[in-house]
Amino acid sequence: MKFKQIIQRLFAFKKQSPASPQNKIPADKSEKMQKVMAMLANTQEVELTCDEVFAVLDQFVEMAARGEDVSQLMPLIQQHLDMCEDCREEYKILESIVQSAT
Amino acid sequence: MDKRTNEEWVADLRAGGDQQAQALEDLRAIILRGLPYAIAGRIAPNSPESEALTEEVVQETLMRVLEYLDTFEGRSQFTTWAHKIAVRAALTELRRVRWREVPLPEMEMNDEGDASYRELPDSQASPEEQVSRAEMMKRVNRIIMEELTEKQRMAMTAIMEGFPLEEAAQRLGTNRNTLYKLMHDARLRLKKRLEKEGLTPREVLSVFEQSGK
Repeated sequence: MKFKQIIQRLFAFKKQSPASPQNKIPADKSEKMQKVMAMLANTQEVELTCDEVFAVLDQFVEMAARGEDVSQLMPLIQQHLDMCEDCREEYKILESIVQSAT
Repeated sequence: MDKRTNEEWVADLRAGGDQQAQALEDLRAIILRGLPYAIAGRIAPNSPESEALTEEVVQETLMRVLEYLDTFEGRSQFTTWAHKIAVRAALTELRRVRWREVPLPEMEMNDEGDASYRELPDSQASPEEQVSRAEMMKRVNRIIMEELTEKQRMAMTAIMEGFPLEEAAQRLGTNRNTLYKLMHDARLRLKKRLEKEGLTPREVLSVFEQSGK
């Protein structure tokens, strides 16, 4: 039952007959579902972890600053940054610092 | 002097004595130039909180640079490597401060929560679209319940609520790297289960993207 409650909270799904007015999905729950599905669509069998990305983030940022096509050269890093908001936030700050120094 | 080569940075920081002290002082100045990019928009610049955080992050960064100096492989500028360490230290602290008062999303759902669900504004989707969305929501919820562990569900709830991975990890008694792996496993399980049921994430997505809100 607890598991079910968790999921109900996640997407606020409630058992209703299909035709009832309560069947309408609130926009924020719909957005969360879309967010989950967008993440699933971008999920790869093999992905780098945050630590693996952190290990080469400085190199990746400098390559990007030089105008190199990092999404082609280091696609797994790019994929992780697309998936992980924490790493993406750190990448963007480091990018700003490197750009300001050039 | 901040025009050292990578080799000079490493040599000076390893040297000890005045040579190391000067290198640390120079590195400190470089880190201080980068930190405003991390702090901007997150806490008020030039505030007491900002000054305290800056000093804490600089100290922590210099310690980590010395601790991990042997791991620097020279694949980037030494200063970029040091900035990377400073940015991680700053963001870790900023996230902790920003989210410390925010509890992890409650796992229990009471009757009041159900009521507020029904009162939320509705989208402009047609009745037919509403039915298919509800059916799809039910189907995906069932899959999530059957495929994910309780910890995976808790993490997913937190992340969907906007928690940084790092902060969610700490609350769940793990670390960011491990939680990313846990969530990767969760995403893979859900994706494969959808495939087994003849669905792709994009198909599910399309159900919720139909018409305006």
